[in-house]
Amino acid sequence: MKFDLVFKGIFSAMFLASIMRISTPLILPALGGLITELSGSINIALEGVMLTSAFTGVVVSAFTQNVWLGVLAGIIAGILFSALLAYFHLYLETNIILAGTALNIMATGGTIFLLYILTGDKGNSSSLASKMVPVVEIPFIKDIPVLGTVLSGHNIFVYAAIVLTFLTSVLLYNTKFGVHLRAVGENPTAATSLGIPVKKIKFTAILISGFLASLGGLNLSMAYLSIFQREMTAGRGFIALAAVYLGGRRPWGTFLAAILFGAADALSNQLGTLDIPSQWVQVIPYAITIIALVVYGIQRKAQIVEQTRRFQERELAKVNNNHTTT
Amino acid sequence: MRKFFSNPAVRETLRVIIAVSIALALGFLVTLFVSEDPFGAYKAFLLGPLSKFNRFGDWIEESITLILVGLSVAIAFRANMFSMGTEGQLLLGALVSGSIALFVPLPTILRIPLAIAAAMAAGFIWGWIPGYLKAHLDANEIVSTLMLNAIALKMYDYFLIFHIKAPDAGYNASDFFPVEGSLPSFIPNIPIFERAYALFSDKTNITIMVYVLIIAVIAAYYLIYRTPFGYKLRMVGANIKFARYGGIDTKKTMILVFAISGIFGGLAGAHLSMAIHTKLIANISVGMGFEGIVVAILAKINPLLIPITGLAYGYLRAGANVMERSSDMSREMIFVIQALIILFVTAERFLPTIQKRVEERKENNSHAEKIAPSDGGSHEV
Repeated sequence: MKFDLVFKGIFSAMFLASIMRISTPLILPALGGLITELSGSINIALEGVMLTSAFTGVVVSAFTQNVWLGVLAGIIAGILFSALLAYFHLYLETNIILAGTALNIMATGGTIFLLYILTGDKGNSSSLASKMVPVVEIPFIKDIPVLGTVLSGHNIFVYAAIVLTFLTSVLLYNTKFGVHLRAVGENPTAATSLGIPVKKIKFTAILISGFLASLGGLNLSMAYLSIFQREMTAGRGFIALAAVYLGGRRPWGTFLAAILFGAADALSNQLGTLDIPSQWVQVIPYAITIIALVVYGIQRKAQIVEQTRRFQERELAKVNNNHTTT
Repeated sequence: MRKFFSNPAVRETLRVIIAVSIALALGFLVTLFVSEDPFGAYKAFLLGPLSKFNRFGDWIEESITLILVGLSVAIAFRANMFSMGTEGQLLLGALVSGSIALFVPLPTILRIPLAIAAAMAAGFIWGWIPGYLKAHLDANEIVSTLMLNAIALKMYDYFLIFHIKAPDAGYNASDFFPVEGSLPSFIPNIPIFERAYALFSDKTNITIMVYVLIIAVIAAYYLIYRTPFGYKLRMVGANIKFARYGGIDTKKTMILVFAISGIFGGLAGAHLSMAIHTKLIANISVGMGFEGIVVAILAKINPLLIPITGLAYGYLRAGANVMERSSDMSREMIFVIQALIILFVTAERFLPTIQKRVEERKENNSHAEKIAPSDGGSHEV
């Protein structure tokens, strides 16, 4: 009987809609992770940026009673926080992994510290009257039976995630900046010799990734939930990094990988009604991430083997041709 | 005096001291703004661990864990492997050693070594996995270790809640370990030490883990600097391509680096469960694995310096706890100070002006000496 209910729960439009909602705070930071990854740095401070923005958004929206000021402040805080990472990494030559770790620690402790000062509570911001972003119904589409439930009636961040995936793709592959960015990530020395300002581009990439991650954080505290909770990102910044690899370092691949993680999460919520210990179900997304790393590793190994084989064949063919002509 | 300052070791030490001082000063600035009684709060923070004997004990116990996780991080970082897996290894080490202390019917003399060895084995296995993934599939070690941490945490919770805690207990914790599974005090209970034993075992939990720790520090140093494996480890850390050309089996070395780093993580877990809590509790480690990064970085990844930085950092953490209990400041301030310390200490170009000035002065002096060699200073060159 219970299985019945669970299956009905999984194969429904509502479930697909919930996947979209759960995936959004993964898609946005994952896009940020993708941009830094392609520019040749690894941004492990995504987690910290998300926390900082989630916190700032809630606090500013509560004190100004204006949701958009909250969102704006959250974005600015996220970008400034990323600028700190970029400055330490690029200008003070700190190892980016250590700087990122430090900033994550600072965000975790700092948000709890400030939360306690502002509310006297170390757990969450429920005593602050913070605002939530509006839910948007798409005209016409919302009336289509199944599709309407899946696509319409989400908060603005869900739509933003889809639009920004498209924009990221355009930025990376159809603009001069994107070409430069990928050149810097591929071979910084070669890029320098071509006169591309490597540091500037890396700096910008980290700022853009901060912008995207800040939206992910705001989504958590102003749409997904209506409050800030301590450590509410719960490792999403790191799962987002994993999505970049699983998605083959491409925008839509990253998007789909993030949705896969979201689906695993949504599934674990659904399975929670069965008599399975919740811990086993909660392990699923993490286990999938590790499997994804393995699959990506095997794929890339196969690719390299294939490329080497082709190269050798080509060279052999050249040698043979030379023999026949002479 | 000039020679003293141009010594790189002295300069590095100075840099760390300046970085820590700046971080503490910024912390005080925050306290000034926030606290009703900033001086009282900061006094509790800076002097707290020495104010009472039991607080002194807390400091030492905390430091033992910190030094062990610091060693774990240092071994991986020395090979330039950014393993974040200490947290997971620590959790499994605590789980395994705690279960043995609770349930395996052996006398103390067998049960405790078994528990400690099992914790080390658990850490070894949990470290081996990301090592294998990194070596053979080039899987990013940061992502894989973080995921393994999350899985270890879920495993810990599952076994604690469904198998270890008493079914009728209202909270998620095991019973206290029985006498056979408890670590003895670090002072032997024999007549000569009677008074010291009474004093320490009454107020503190400092156990024989102190001796295990000393062995661990020496072992880590010996392993990194005095064994063929340590040489391979450092070669991989310095330049992995060069190491491969030099005929080192880099894959095997990498896997072993992760696994051995795990041994120390597991040991830290055994210390948490058997010495500090003497029972298994939920949230037994709140980011302790990451504290290891601070300890290792402050020590410049040198195992012999890790006990010093571990004690210093443990002092700050113990102080933060005292501050929280005795003032209106929350202990999370220590996280901000910690982050600032990491940033300042690891920033290669932090304080470059000081170094530059020292070098400039040196150059100027040698110039001056060349021009006027009769000026007496020439002997120094």
